[in-house]
Amino acid sequence: MSSSTKFLTLKTCDDKKFVLDEAIAVRSQTIKNMVEDDCVSNVIPLPNVDSKTMTKVIEYWKKHSEEGISKDMLMDFDKAFVKVHHSILHALILAANFLNDKEMLDMMCQEVVDRIKGKTPEEIRKEFDIKNDFTPEEEEEIRKENAWAFE
Amino acid sequence: MPPKDKKCGSRALAPDILSNLPDNIIDAIVMLLPLRDAVRTSILSKTWRYNWCRLPVWTIDQALWDVTNNAISPTTRFTNIIYHLLTLHVGPISKFTLSIATLGNCPKIDNLIYFLSRNGIQHLVLQFPRGNLYKLPSSFFTCSQISHLSLQNCLIMFPPAFKGFEKLVSLELCDVTIPSKFIGSLISCCPLLEHLVLHSTITNHIQIRAPKLRSFDFTGKLIFLSLEGVPLLEKLSLVDTGYSGKAGKCGIAKFLESFPALKHLHLDYFSVRFFAGAVPKLLPFALNSLKHLHLSEFSLDELDVASCALYLIKSFPFLQEIEIEVYDDWVEPAGGDVTSEILEKVKSLSNVTLNHLRVVEFAGITGTDPEMQLIKLLLAKSPKLARMLIKPGVGDDTPKSRIEVLAEITQFRRASPRAEVVYKLA
Repeated sequence: MSSSTKFLTLKTCDDKKFVLDEAIAVRSQTIKNMVEDDCVSNVIPLPNVDSKTMTKVIEYWKKHSEEGISKDMLMDFDKAFVKVHHSILHALILAANFLNDKEMLDMMCQEVVDRIKGKTPEEIRKEFDIKNDFTPEEEEEIRKENAWAFE
Repeated sequence: MPPKDKKCGSRALAPDILSNLPDNIIDAIVMLLPLRDAVRTSILSKTWRYNWCRLPVWTIDQALWDVTNNAISPTTRFTNIIYHLLTLHVGPISKFTLSIATLGNCPKIDNLIYFLSRNGIQHLVLQFPRGNLYKLPSSFFTCSQISHLSLQNCLIMFPPAFKGFEKLVSLELCDVTIPSKFIGSLISCCPLLEHLVLHSTITNHIQIRAPKLRSFDFTGKLIFLSLEGVPLLEKLSLVDTGYSGKAGKCGIAKFLESFPALKHLHLDYFSVRFFAGAVPKLLPFALNSLKHLHLSEFSLDELDVASCALYLIKSFPFLQEIEIEVYDDWVEPAGGDVTSEILEKVKSLSNVTLNHLRVVEFAGITGTDPEMQLIKLLLAKSPKLARMLIKPGVGDDTPKSRIEVLAEITQFRRASPRAEVVYKLA
């Protein structure tokens, strides 16, 4: 076991490289498994993550690895972190899923849930740009099928 | 509201990126939604129509039928919802919570239990209305995957062939009617059981043997309880509702001997009283594992009880936290002689040093002499004390006013230079 800091190089799908302390990068279970299985050569390719998203992920990892940071500070950070357009939220969810960072994934899913909860279908569709592909008749049928939930 | 970022142009190819998420994430999102919101996602778009039907976690409570048509009885509305969920659901249900304590009478749910038993239920919570007790159907005993079980207000009768729940880790029974010979065997035939809660369940003597048990929370008649085969027990909470007229049915030392790994101990006034019969002067053994002592609904008004409480504080050499909640309805303490005897008992604390005590919480104090003496000695005998929180009682008719109590406490000598003493009004 060496105590010196080891660095990993991560390469995103748009060919940008990120050099990161291994201790931070292993917040990703996917990267951790690669490191443990010794299949890390020089560069870890992340074919499913773009550089813009990775920058955000690393910002999150670094904040959550800071020494002596208080719970309240982290909560404020998280709160601000998830307040992004749904397209970025979507990219971050996919990245957290691919990198297998459960803590981050749970937080992002909770944000989606908070944006859905208590809203009308129209409001939810607007929030996430969901196209309503039902005819009025079909929509009526679904309302009937699940009547109690729409009363 | 999130800031309206500029559209991410070329990246937002699909008009609906939320629907394009992998199934496992869609499921996780639907699962975090309240059931009503989850079902309502069916109308968003064609891809969303049946997403909720895979939901593996259901919480069924009053909130669901409260807002539906008031002209129909709540029980009928409840039954309609269950029918709808059962007919459309696909896949396993791992966690199911049914909270129908507010329904006047218990609807027919035998089929629902049967459905759960065949769909891999692991975590089951059933809370029924009081009154006519619901008897669990035989299908309940075939839930072989169950790991967490919580039951309230129902009747359990074992089928003769029942072999136990092999995977059960946590069991909570509140106001459950169960023949006492079955409760002991139910517990002993769940080999993995770690957490057990029994509230007002026992009507006769039971013996608890659970080799893996770590926490046990009991409210009921202590006189019926026998707790011996629990070598790993770390957390024990006892509230005695037996209210036996005279103190002391059983010695505290003998009782504590059975728990070599105990870390947290919570006793209410009546359970301390129950054990206060034969309080030894010296410790027959040291319970080094105990870190946290909590005495609730407490009062230092009876000699036996005060002796036992003091004995507890002195018996645990590694005690880190003491929490005492004084009983709200302050009553005139026993006559002068008894009070001075109690005071002497409290003063016996001056012979020990509480080397590991870090936190003391003393809530509802009324300012009686034994209370003040206890605070004084805890401050004087705890060199590592970091924090003492004192909350005065709410009543006005107390021996000392709040300000007098505060004034007196500020004069007490503190063995720990770092000790923070917080006096919290309201």
